[in-house]
Amino acid sequence: MRRLLVWPPQAYLIAFFLVPTLIMVASSFAWPGEEGGLSSFWVRDAQGIHFDLTFDNYRDIFTSRLFLVLFARSLGYAGLTTASCLLAAYPLALVIARSAGKYRNLLLLMVIVPFWTNFLIRIYALMIILGPQAALARILNALLDWVGLTPVSLLFSPFAVLVGMVYIYLPFMVLPLYANLEKHDPDLLDAARDLGAGSWQRFWRITFPLSLPGVMAGSALVFIPALGAFAVPDILGGTRGIMIGNVIKMQFLEARDWPFGSALSIMLTLLALVVTGLAAWLARRKVGAGV
Amino acid sequence: MSAPTKVILLAMLALFSCAATAADVLRIYNWNNYIAPETLERFETECKCRVSYDTYGSNEELLAKIAAGATGYDLLVPTGNAVESLIKQHALLPLDKRKLPNLGNIGAAYLDRFFDPGNVYSVPYAYTVTLIGYNEQKLHQLGIPTNTWAAIFEPRYLRKLKGRVTVLDDPRELMAAALLYLGYSVNDPNETHWREAAGVIMRAKKYWAAFNNTSYIRLIAAGDIWLAQGYSNDFFQAGLEARKAGKNFTIGSVIPEQGAVLSLDSMVIPRHAPRPDLAYRFVNFMLAGSNSAELTNLIGSGNPNVAALPYIKPAIAATAAIFPDRQTLARLEQLRDLTRRQRQLLNRLWTEIKLY
Repeated sequence: MRRLLVWPPQAYLIAFFLVPTLIMVASSFAWPGEEGGLSSFWVRDAQGIHFDLTFDNYRDIFTSRLFLVLFARSLGYAGLTTASCLLAAYPLALVIARSAGKYRNLLLLMVIVPFWTNFLIRIYALMIILGPQAALARILNALLDWVGLTPVSLLFSPFAVLVGMVYIYLPFMVLPLYANLEKHDPDLLDAARDLGAGSWQRFWRITFPLSLPGVMAGSALVFIPALGAFAVPDILGGTRGIMIGNVIKMQFLEARDWPFGSALSIMLTLLALVVTGLAAWLARRKVGAGV
Repeated sequence: MSAPTKVILLAMLALFSCAATAADVLRIYNWNNYIAPETLERFETECKCRVSYDTYGSNEELLAKIAAGATGYDLLVPTGNAVESLIKQHALLPLDKRKLPNLGNIGAAYLDRFFDPGNVYSVPYAYTVTLIGYNEQKLHQLGIPTNTWAAIFEPRYLRKLKGRVTVLDDPRELMAAALLYLGYSVNDPNETHWREAAGVIMRAKKYWAAFNNTSYIRLIAAGDIWLAQGYSNDFFQAGLEARKAGKNFTIGSVIPEQGAVLSLDSMVIPRHAPRPDLAYRFVNFMLAGSNSAELTNLIGSGNPNVAALPYIKPAIAATAAIFPDRQTLARLEQLRDLTRRQRQLLNRLWTEIKLY
């Protein structure tokens, strides 16, 4: 009976996680089809049937500086996005978690409402807000001009990509942080105060260590999709804005090289696994040391 | 009845009504905004059928969907090089010309092209030219020539335009422009020439604002950018938008003296189309001059249909960038489909171009 009950989630994992991943792994070793798609995995000749696979895709990734730079750039963008989201979301989540019950839901709603608007519409709105004729750029450039610096362009820059990504992924950081912070026992802080801890000490030695699981969950939820982002750099990025996601997309469209796209995706998945695994390990060590 | 129940009932009703009329549905997969709504409605009335209309934004999107095994479409409208790829994949139905009496309306210059000799599979639909569009007053004021690709690629002009230029986010189109600028053919297969063209792009790119396929229409109409590589019909739209917004500038577009890319989109019927009969009726319907002209009047696309000319708005028919004269037409080239190896090289060059 118990086995039957755990079956649905397992079936779900197999159908939506394991099978697609295995297909991707298999296709990353295949040859590309002449007009897109995949070549056959095996050939039949006089000696019988044998596999026709290649390591070329992985060799190309590791022997070219191009893809190394690309992965490094994507890591940089994703890391900065995660850090900015964390900095912006932590105070917000703290305020929501500590506000009176009747306001709490309203505040949470305000975090979620922008989510209901289509992603592309929000990005195009940012395009107008950051545009050279909008108030923001004009005020900034007037200030720069006043101190004698050359004007800058906000739109089509790494800055615009970062703003776009932080804006899109912020709720993914706020919600897990809130879920964690809300459960903290206020008695702990009262006790610390009674024992003479200042507000900074109370935050740094009690609230923050206790919130680390929330920080980890939020960071993973932001970092992983940010690493593979392609729409935001496509729309807001300038002439040097691409990330690994753009290059993967290109393999399935312009280049019609599905195996190479699969190999890049596998590398992206591994990278995300390694980085989040490392972060989780560090966090656990810190919690262990702190308590 | 609660609201969710109502919604579910409505959805079920909608599903059933679809099933009831499924017998006579023509499934078209075409570019975004590439048919006038009134044309579609008239066809539905005439053939007593329903049209289901899906759209794509690039030939690559269409090819990827077909390569992934999409079936069930009765009619596609790919560009020449994508037609070439679909023919190589044996994905298209050879056309029975007896079912297309209006085929004679297509001008000879648009028939029997390289991608489908003898038009065995394809019937021209509309075309666009990839050219230079610009803010006329700004470029005149800065003294930058507009009839040459040099405006896009020459640092000495670009210095005055820094951050005010966009180019297409399309490796084929941008490389084609750079190849033309260097005096080569857009279909030049020489690898050295490709690297040379990539060098021209790398040198110019630090002055460009962005690679952009869609929003340059709005950006140039708003005055945010002053010069763009783009499609003739898009600059036509941008000009209308700028005028409607009462801007104090106008949008011009010119086919550069070095030549440009002509993209001829053709109607094709997939080999396994469920309803080729309806597709034939649609192709013949679109070949009628009055129907074909409606698309041109709506979006300012070029029209290969000679019988459509009398129905086209004079302002559009007189625009040289949309209806080039015979001499200019001779300078236009269509892109050919690349081989796998060429695509791979272009992909590496393009990644490099966009990364650094």
